[in-house]
Amino acid sequence: MKKIIFILLMATLSLQAVYTEKVKMTSITFVIPSDENTIVMQRNCQWCHSYGYILNQGKQSKEFWNKVVVKMRDVYKAPITPRDELLATEYLYKHFGNKKEK
Amino acid sequence: MQRRDFFKLSLATSTLVLATSNAAATTRQPIDSRKVSTHTFPEKRPLITYSDRPPLLETPRDAFTRAITPNDELFVRWHMPKIPTAINMERYYINVHGEVKERLYLTVDALKKEFEQVEVTVAMQCGGNSRSAFVPTTSGIQWGSGAMGCSKYKGVRLKDVLAKAGLTDDSVWITLNGGDEAVMKKIESFKRELKISEITDDTIIAYEQNEEELPFLNGYPVRLIIPGFYADSWVKQLSNIDVTKEYKNYYYMDTAYRVPDNETESETPEHHANKTKPLELMNVKSYIGYPTSLSQVHAKAHLTIKGIAFDEGKGIKEVLISLDKGKTWERATLAEELSKYAFRVFSYKMKPMNKGKLTILAKAVNNAGQEQPFAHEIQWNHGGYKYNGIDSVTVDVI
Repeated sequence: MKKIIFILLMATLSLQAVYTEKVKMTSITFVIPSDENTIVMQRNCQWCHSYGYILNQGKQSKEFWNKVVVKMRDVYKAPITPRDELLATEYLYKHFGNKKEK
Repeated sequence: MQRRDFFKLSLATSTLVLATSNAAATTRQPIDSRKVSTHTFPEKRPLITYSDRPPLLETPRDAFTRAITPNDELFVRWHMPKIPTAINMERYYINVHGEVKERLYLTVDALKKEFEQVEVTVAMQCGGNSRSAFVPTTSGIQWGSGAMGCSKYKGVRLKDVLAKAGLTDDSVWITLNGGDEAVMKKIESFKRELKISEITDDTIIAYEQNEEELPFLNGYPVRLIIPGFYADSWVKQLSNIDVTKEYKNYYYMDTAYRVPDNETESETPEHHANKTKPLELMNVKSYIGYPTSLSQVHAKAHLTIKGIAFDEGKGIKEVLISLDKGKTWERATLAEELSKYAFRVFSYKMKPMNKGKLTILAKAVNNAGQEQPFAHEIQWNHGGYKYNGIDSVTVDVI
């Protein structure tokens, strides 16, 4: 009986403590295809979001992907250089493209 | 050619052009085939998972047979990657400042002790819920239809908090923000604005969800609840209320979370509407929770179709079920109304007589007579917002 009370007490305590302790966020590895430009994705995208965002968009046109990259730079201030803008667009279109320019 | 004929012709041409450009944009049933993840997040059971940083979790279809969505099943949507993962309640406060007579620093304890406590049961839905219905793909997470839920919230009226601070005669707007903060200083944090004159008694700062503390991922310790509105202004980990004279421009008010300001709230992929308006009241929607495409349904056995319906708060008048692709409709039975803002459970008993595919459609009608359109009747908008097509589930009857 004492043991049960102790366990219940501990369970209550740990529930109360859940937010003052740091909440351990789940970390998931979303795998994207690997090629010579994967490093461009590594250095530009992951500051703000997981690759889950990329994988969720379906197959899209080159223009679609370019607009996404430009939005990340202009709206979310990702420090994407002009060269990386091209390479990231190419990478996204190569692996997640629908064979249409527009 | 007569002048009148010319007009007729040009009208016909422009209709044709419009029809052609519309033909490129279509709307279908949202994606319904995604599986729950093998990963679990704090206080959540496994949900459909789009991202861990920021966390984006969707509730699967089979949760939508009940009026109240359990806390561990409620969807999660943060905008920024850096979420505070530890809250020191002694140091946590909501800062009410700006055009007020007295600046307030309200702890959660003060909220509980110094204000009238109110409860409201209310449906919450992301403006982009069901976004995967729109083709071509619109910007944003391609949600299925589970970026919604319904909870009973307890908290204090936002109006009462503002009254305690004492609004100056010049106060017109409030800016709200919380823990959804940008990763870099130069990126704008998630901020929203409300017009003070439009804040109703039902708008509350909530600290309890379904009689428990708010789940961390749903905005612990406090979040704003605006019944009837899409959840984009339901600021999580609310910490700042800035009362202002004038409307301020913020990205999440002026660029994102807007729909075309025209009768059909639509546009074409080639020509986005010039005039837009913020997402506000939710349109009428229903969703089937049982059966799902994975359910085992037997011929000549009783089947109870179940689901939920809700709207902006006018209340659900009826939910209609069709088993013949919309030719005929029959009324489902509605369960008790927990509140005009809450999910209303519907059920419909039937017995499928034949083996093979059975398609079930559900359509809600609210007390204002507004009803859900067919998926294909909904016109495209580039944010992929406000989809509310008639729901459709196809099952194998064995």
